[in-house]
Amino acid sequence: MAESANAPVKQEPVDAVNLESRILELCMEFPKGLTDAIIQNSMPQFDAQQRVTAINRLLSTGQVDLLKSSTGLVYKLKDSAAVSKVKGSDHQERLVYQIIEAAENKGIWIRDIRFKSNLLLTQVNKILKNLESKKLIKAVKSVAASKKKVYMLYNLEPDRTVTGGAWYSDQDFESEFVEVLNQQCFKFLEQKAALARDSKADPMAQKNAAYTSSSDVWKYISELGISKVQLSIADIETILDTLIYDGKVERTVVAAAAGGDADAGQLKLYRAISPLIQPTGLMKTPCGVCPVIKDCYEGGAVSPSTCIYMKEWLDY
Amino acid sequence: MAGRGRGRGRGGGKGMSFSVETLGFGRGEALPAPTLQPPPLFPPLEFKPVALTTGEEMDYILALKQEFRATMKELPYYVKAQEKKKDIERYTDKYQTGQQDSSINWEPDWKRFPKELKIRVRKAAKIQAVVRPSLPKKTISRKADKDVLQTLEELEKKAVEIDAEKDEEDEEEKKEEDGEQEEEEEYDEEDLEEETDYNLNYFDNGEGYGMEDEDDNLDDGPTY
Amino acid sequence: MSSSATRLCFLILKERYGEVVASVACCLAKKNYCPLRMLSQDSGLKLDQVKKALCTLIQHNLVTFQQNKKGFIEYVIHAEKVLQQTRFPRYIYCAKTLYGDPAELIIEELLQHGQMTLEKVVQRTIDRLTEAMEGKQNVSSTLVKEKFVNLVQTHFVQRCTSPDGNVENKEVASMPVLSVSPEELYVVPKMELDGFESRKRKRSGEGSEAASKRIKTDESESSESSIFWRVNVSRFHQYLRDQAIVQAVASKIDKNAAEVVRAMLRLSEVKTDEGALVASAMTVTEVFQNLPREFGISKQTIEQYMKLLSEDSSEFVSKVSDSGGGMYVINFKKLITVLCRAHIESAVQERFGSKCFRIFRLLLMKKNLEQKQIEEYAMIPSKEAKELLYRMFEEKFVSLTEVPKTPDHAPSRTFYLFSVNINQVSRMLLERCYQACGNLIIRREHETKENRRLLDKQQRVDAITASMEQSGADPSQKEEIEQMITPPEKAQLTKIKHMTNKIEHSELQLDDTIFILQTYLQYAHMK
Repeated sequence: MAESANAPVKQEPVDAVNLESRILELCMEFPKGLTDAIIQNSMPQFDAQQRVTAINRLLSTGQVDLLKSSTGLVYKLKDSAAVSKVKGSDHQERLVYQIIEAAENKGIWIRDIRFKSNLLLTQVNKILKNLESKKLIKAVKSVAASKKKVYMLYNLEPDRTVTGGAWYSDQDFESEFVEVLNQQCFKFLEQKAALARDSKADPMAQKNAAYTSSSDVWKYISELGISKVQLSIADIETILDTLIYDGKVERTVVAAAAGGDADAGQLKLYRAISPLIQPTGLMKTPCGVCPVIKDCYEGGAVSPSTCIYMKEWLDY
Repeated sequence: MAGRGRGRGRGGGKGMSFSVETLGFGRGEALPAPTLQPPPLFPPLEFKPVALTTGEEMDYILALKQEFRATMKELPYYVKAQEKKKDIERYTDKYQTGQQDSSINWEPDWKRFPKELKIRVRKAAKIQAVVRPSLPKKTISRKADKDVLQTLEELEKKAVEIDAEKDEEDEEEKKEEDGEQEEEEEYDEEDLEEETDYNLNYFDNGEGYGMEDEDDNLDDGPTY
Repeated sequence: MSSSATRLCFLILKERYGEVVASVACCLAKKNYCPLRMLSQDSGLKLDQVKKALCTLIQHNLVTFQQNKKGFIEYVIHAEKVLQQTRFPRYIYCAKTLYGDPAELIIEELLQHGQMTLEKVVQRTIDRLTEAMEGKQNVSSTLVKEKFVNLVQTHFVQRCTSPDGNVENKEVASMPVLSVSPEELYVVPKMELDGFESRKRKRSGEGSEAASKRIKTDESESSESSIFWRVNVSRFHQYLRDQAIVQAVASKIDKNAAEVVRAMLRLSEVKTDEGALVASAMTVTEVFQNLPREFGISKQTIEQYMKLLSEDSSEFVSKVSDSGGGMYVINFKKLITVLCRAHIESAVQERFGSKCFRIFRLLLMKKNLEQKQIEEYAMIPSKEAKELLYRMFEEKFVSLTEVPKTPDHAPSRTFYLFSVNINQVSRMLLERCYQACGNLIIRREHETKENRRLLDKQQRVDAITASMEQSGADPSQKEEIEQMITPPEKAQLTKIKHMTNKIEHSELQLDDTIFILQTYLQYAHMK
């Protein structure tokens, strides 16, 4: 209970969804009409405001009706919904609905529904179709695997793991966008490093001057205005990490000065670095890049004497 | 059940030791379709070789490499392939014997080598018969190349003749190339005795052909 | 030995000592030990040919021998030394940079002849230097000897093993027992130098100009030294390794940092045992004192560089203690591993492109990753990441481990972890390098063979014109000869030259990769 009072705002949607489904369940238990008092009694953890929001949503999505009765205002399942949900729908459909509900906004894959419900694939398919047509659930394409669909309750906002966050538009990974950001971040860091080098300061100072915090990079990128979506500092750090894997950037973490803009008192600093070596010798030979080298032997169809890559390279 | 390797990889596994699915190919899905025609022998290159490093240093090292390569061929450590049994006397034969001369005239310091590697001396009169061809050793000729090469040869002979006179005067003033030859000559002098042993042996090849192996198999047998 | 390594050995030896030597060596390489007769049988070569080949191989430090229990002499080939022969031009160049032209020639002579007495090396060097100066200047033998002693003192040249003087019955023994004591390995006995001097004096006393030939006979008669010298390959490798480190520092940090490291490496040469994987600790003051003044780097700046170097992700140097203002070491094993990684990464970059490069480095940094994690960290779309991973997996740049969650090993309940095994990739890549190097040599031979006739013709024309020049023949005559090579032929000759140069350039540069991979693998075995 104390939890509900202190609960962070972002948990609300989940609770609200819970509330809505519980209300629907109560409607089934009280087919003659559900009063606000009953809701309040069975779910004391929700306050009046939350109840009102839930009821309003149920009313607006046409899942319940508000009726007058002798005991005052009561809620009843709307006919169509009521039919399918309580009478028409059997135990199986309810089971599937509950499984999907439990998956929350991360969604659940059809195979897992099958495992959990112990139903045949055809049955599950039929039920899912039913529920979808009633707008009780929806299928969302997951970015995790292009052909995988996950199911979740109709009114839920899919989780970032499903949509992919800033890097996805319509479940498609925007790799070009990522590459542009990767290049721009590097350009920024490289300019900074070049300035530091030209400063002729002592070596340690040069190195320090080349470092830039992730928030500075973020500011630079935001000002460039190349992003249609709002990027967070964490998003930029993800991009900067790719530059680390690219071997172009190094990161160091320092304790942030008081009042600094870093979280948890740490400041992530990045700087562009020079490569350790020039391209390795093997790659200066045609054999280094040859796609058929494993088929190559003297006297074979692919052989050093007949190699056309070698010829091209020698003619150049 | 599917505990052993063989049971696994159902779906698109096709004999791989792992499930193709882990590479992200859904069952049968993205696995490239079986190709209907053989791929080109040399498919177009996706990446080109990186440009070579250039500069003075590299050029110098290259020169060292090429010089070294050329020198080694002239040094006596180079062992020429054994001559095939001669069926016909070839025009080029005399050049080859000339080359062989130069290829065997070094003498290991036998204090430091196993004795069994010594090639046993066969005393035969033939040794005297070794005649050095009049042409310089450098001459390499595989196929007589019609008139051009013949003309060249004649010219060469002339040049040698003219040379011969000059030679005595300025022996020291030679170019690098000749320097290598000079080196051989030094070895010649130094190892004259043993060299002839080798020589002899070589010339014996034709004669003792076939016999040779049995002969040699007598470990530490008598030398004659 | 792998087939590509064997093939490369064959090609190298064939080019230097002829096909017979190459065949014998490769036959020998297939066995660990082999007696003479068996070698003759296996190679199908005549016994005398095999004997000669073995002599050449022994002379060039590629084959050693020993007596087995039955009393047979068995021959052992050191294939790794054969493969190192492609590096000879580098050694010669190192000697030149370190000690100048005489040293260059000393090393070249030693490499050409395998083993030589001091006297012969010095004489040959003097002859060649005189030749190069066209007799305009006298070459001092003192200078050449000094260089020789330098090279021995700095371990670039060492004594060969020699027959034990104490064993009196050596005349009877079928095989000399060769050895050299570690104390003597890098010592030039005074007698060697003096003996040479006195003989030289004797010669000049005789007033004989006919020079070298005479002396050669002399020395072989009586006073010839029994001490032979050869190039110490591992010392050159140490130098090349240090060069590679200095270059990497220059590239990653700057030239001054490279000079600081160079000074440290010089210092470590003195302080550290040969073959040690970590250099002895040194202080900033020591480094400062070892840094040539002309760089104008203050002690304070060196301190900063030491900090930079030790903080760098490549860990060029490590601080081992705070005493004496900080003691620093260079960890060669670690650094070579870093360099080896960089070379492998470069291969990935150039062979598969930057996306693969990113994935590959990601795997090196995070060790074991599932495909999904790779996609997320590298920010590469799932489908593309799959393809890239598969290509690298297929070519054995990345490996895959199955970690079953359940005892039934069901694929759906198994983790598939990708990772990189540097040791394995190094081996694979080294193989590839050997194959590439062999291919280059074959292609070069092929181009030469295709143009044999033309090249022969050129050689003859050159020889004739050269001798005509010497004999002062008429220039018009010379021109006439030169015109025997037609313009199209000339163009073709230029092309051949270009091709040969390009191939040989890349043979040399390919060896940079080979060197780092070999060194890494060698160190990986050392504790």
